[in-house]
Amino acid sequence: MKPTDISTRSLSALALLVAGALIAAQALYIPAKAQVAQVLMSSAWERQLSTGDPARPWPWADFSPTARLSFPAQNKTVLALTDAAGESLAFGPTLMAASARPGERGVAVFAAHRDTHFAFLKDVKPGDTVTIETTDGRHTFSVTGSDIVRWDDSNIVPHDNGPPRIALVTCWPLEAKTPGPMRYVVWAGLREGG
Amino acid sequence: MSTLASHGLRTRPALAGALLAATCLTPAAYAQDGTVSKSEVSSGSLLLQSSTPGRYVEAPLVAADVKMDIAGPVIRTRLTQRFTNPTDKWVEGVYAFPLPEDAAVDTLKIVIGDRFIEGDIKERQEARIIYAEAAANGQRAGLVEEERPNLFTTSLANIGPGETVAIQIEYQDKARLDNGVWSTRFPLVIAPRYSPKPTFGPTADRTSRILAVNDPVPDRDRITPPVLHPAHEPSGAEGLRLPVSFDIALESGFRLADISSRSHGLIVTEADADSARIKLQDGEVPADRDFILSWKPEPAAAPTASLFREERNGEDYLLAVVNPPVLRVEGQRRDRETIFVIDNSGSMSGESMDQAKQGLLLALDRLAPTDEFNVIRFDDTMDMLFTTAVAANAQNLARAKRFVSNLQANGGTEMLPALRAALVDNDRSNAEEVRQVVFITDGAIGNEDELFSALTGGLGRSRLFTVGIGSAPNAYFMTRAARQGRGTFTYMDDVTKVAEQSAKLFAALENPVMTDLAVKLPDGAADAYPSPLPDLYAGEPVTLVLRTADLKGDLTLSGKLNGRTWTQTFSLSEAAATKGVAQLWGRAKIAGFEESRYSGMSLEDVDKGVLRTALDFHLVSRLTSLVAVDKTPARPAGERPDTRQIATMLPKGWDFGAVFGPEAEARALRFDHLPDTVMQNINARAMQEKPPAESNLALPGAATTWELMLAFGLGLIAFGAALLRRGRILIGSRGLAPASVGPSSTASSVRSRR
Repeated sequence: MKPTDISTRSLSALALLVAGALIAAQALYIPAKAQVAQVLMSSAWERQLSTGDPARPWPWADFSPTARLSFPAQNKTVLALTDAAGESLAFGPTLMAASARPGERGVAVFAAHRDTHFAFLKDVKPGDTVTIETTDGRHTFSVTGSDIVRWDDSNIVPHDNGPPRIALVTCWPLEAKTPGPMRYVVWAGLREGG
Repeated sequence: MSTLASHGLRTRPALAGALLAATCLTPAAYAQDGTVSKSEVSSGSLLLQSSTPGRYVEAPLVAADVKMDIAGPVIRTRLTQRFTNPTDKWVEGVYAFPLPEDAAVDTLKIVIGDRFIEGDIKERQEARIIYAEAAANGQRAGLVEEERPNLFTTSLANIGPGETVAIQIEYQDKARLDNGVWSTRFPLVIAPRYSPKPTFGPTADRTSRILAVNDPVPDRDRITPPVLHPAHEPSGAEGLRLPVSFDIALESGFRLADISSRSHGLIVTEADADSARIKLQDGEVPADRDFILSWKPEPAAAPTASLFREERNGEDYLLAVVNPPVLRVEGQRRDRETIFVIDNSGSMSGESMDQAKQGLLLALDRLAPTDEFNVIRFDDTMDMLFTTAVAANAQNLARAKRFVSNLQANGGTEMLPALRAALVDNDRSNAEEVRQVVFITDGAIGNEDELFSALTGGLGRSRLFTVGIGSAPNAYFMTRAARQGRGTFTYMDDVTKVAEQSAKLFAALENPVMTDLAVKLPDGAADAYPSPLPDLYAGEPVTLVLRTADLKGDLTLSGKLNGRTWTQTFSLSEAAATKGVAQLWGRAKIAGFEESRYSGMSLEDVDKGVLRTALDFHLVSRLTSLVAVDKTPARPAGERPDTRQIATMLPKGWDFGAVFGPEAEARALRFDHLPDTVMQNINARAMQEKPPAESNLALPGAATTWELMLAFGLGLIAFGAALLRRGRILIGSRGLAPASVGPSSTASSVRSRR
């Protein structure tokens, strides 16, 4: 074995290490950002509740938290934002702009990543409670069931003038690691008096 | 401010990387489903509405043909492009194309199949309704709208399966004169300005009032960041590129010394002393860079002034391009106070930042010890190097150079505080010293109204010189900012030519400027634009348009250069008749109205003025659109024809030249079949099926691929580590390695190891 071979080998090994570290860091950045965004959004949410004015989670953010979703059975709380730009899903569940507002007639559609904010959707069962707080007030929904649909054939018609419902959307299959066309939809209806 | 903020976000490179994974469509989203968003369109292309709102499938473009008639400074351009509907459905297409910033678009003609339609100018909202109704009726219809001052879109309704569509747009433009060289630029690329780079925001803001109502893409806000450049589209990338041919007739009006292009090779035929016919050496070229044509008069033949006129509705419109004599001012370098402002926001990262730094370092070198200077850098924060402007001595310069060299591009783009700080003038009344603000940026300006107000109110004796960095600076904004700041705009797009390109800036900064430029109109003449006339920097001509009732009397231009007065007088009757001058005047008047918004005119008055002028002159503007409707319904009600037809019947008088030759036909046929993945995404919107508003909500991608990425990253690390370990073992046993080579070394190494 000649020395040059060894140095080529260690050089490429080093290159691999560096590339691997960069990619891993990039990958870890995604869930980290998802977490940090939620922390920042929750303090913005508190400010918003106390002042009544929309508060930005960080100075250059272009949104403010829209709703707080609580899942008591799963002991989970996430802050949602309104779909303002393509990247909003990176920060939290997103209330799709085309959908109804939670508590209004029609369907309020929240979408989030299956591997970050909506990872717990797999544990949500019919009958579970979902509480949604917005600046307008607080609504309690009961999970009625779930669907698996194609992204472009969702059967969700947001403004169908039906009773107030919510649809929580994430990617399907829940355990898959690669993207696909299918979506998992958890349906919930407004609880009486909620 | 919210858009400003979002820029900051979007420009962060780390985020951008992460955003790629933010949908179920992985980084190769474009490759996977073949769709693009409007913001990702990089050159004129026909977009077919896909089943995802706001995402489009690019229709294969067969060919484009540019015919330019240049008469003196007046340019008439006719752009013809032909597309094929690759699907077996009736579709609606949206076609986005770039044009020069001050292009006056006045004509739209569409051939869909065997139908020929000509557009008419209407108020934007009205045009939209006419178009939508025709589309719903199954009539063929077309609509041209101004999306940005230099980006237009055409919508086309009811394009039949496999049909070929030809779109012809005509506009009026004027040639630029710079240091004695005439030139024109035909944009072939909508540079990243229209991908979600910071520059997306400001112009969108400007028109959002209108777009909010009329936008054919109601969810434009949701356009996702670019995932893959369309040019890298995997299936037949070469084929999908836009081949363009040029046919240019040049009547310069003077003896020509040289015709050249720094972007493309040229073939000049039928060359005369003062005219020529120009084509491209390579025939058709891919639309990957702007086409730039320059022509130069023989030194002795260079006219000092050219005057052109056109009669329209009993009135005469004039265009004057006047080259003031070069007044040499010897030994009169005035001391300067120069404030350099450099943008180090995330959008500048990479080559742009290097260019900006290089340019600024060069500029620092040109300061004299008697000058004063300061450096301000900004992203979403801001730093001033010195608390106030300091002498340009060696020590201060060294400190500034260190500061500049260490700049890193990161963060958002909060330009207003930096601009305000740069305009703070502690010595307002000092007329002896020139005060210059040099703004180096890619134009990620979020709130131009605020910036314009800051400029209008706070300019004082300061002059603003904008320097546009990178491949896609927001030229529209920076030109206007420079005009309002009474300075110049310099374009720096080539990292290898920073020195060359900054020469124009230095010439402007260091040479005396002609001020108090005024025009005296004869009786009956009025409405000269631009108004007021800007200061003239070295090498710049006076270009103005005006309207007059009759061609009598004299036009007198005057200006002051270092205390000396320059005047020049022309007789209006000398003007040569040329078509298109009236359109140029109309466009200039519209620009004048738009600009007066920042100097106090009420929004209603601005809108009223723009609308009236645009309708009078048949021009597309922020408030007016061209709409064309075919009287006869084309799409058979109810049923869908299942045969493909490529109809190319063209009316007389349409010279597509080479475009419609057999070669083009062959190319068209090649694109008949797109991959199935692309086909699946086509939605025959508003044609046969339920309109999307009532149908299913399309769900966004809802998974990141971070786990996959992590596994991949860790895999690489593991592999690298294994390789390294093996390498180490080998290094460790190196003493033994030569054992097989020679006995002597064996002995020694064995011994040494023992």
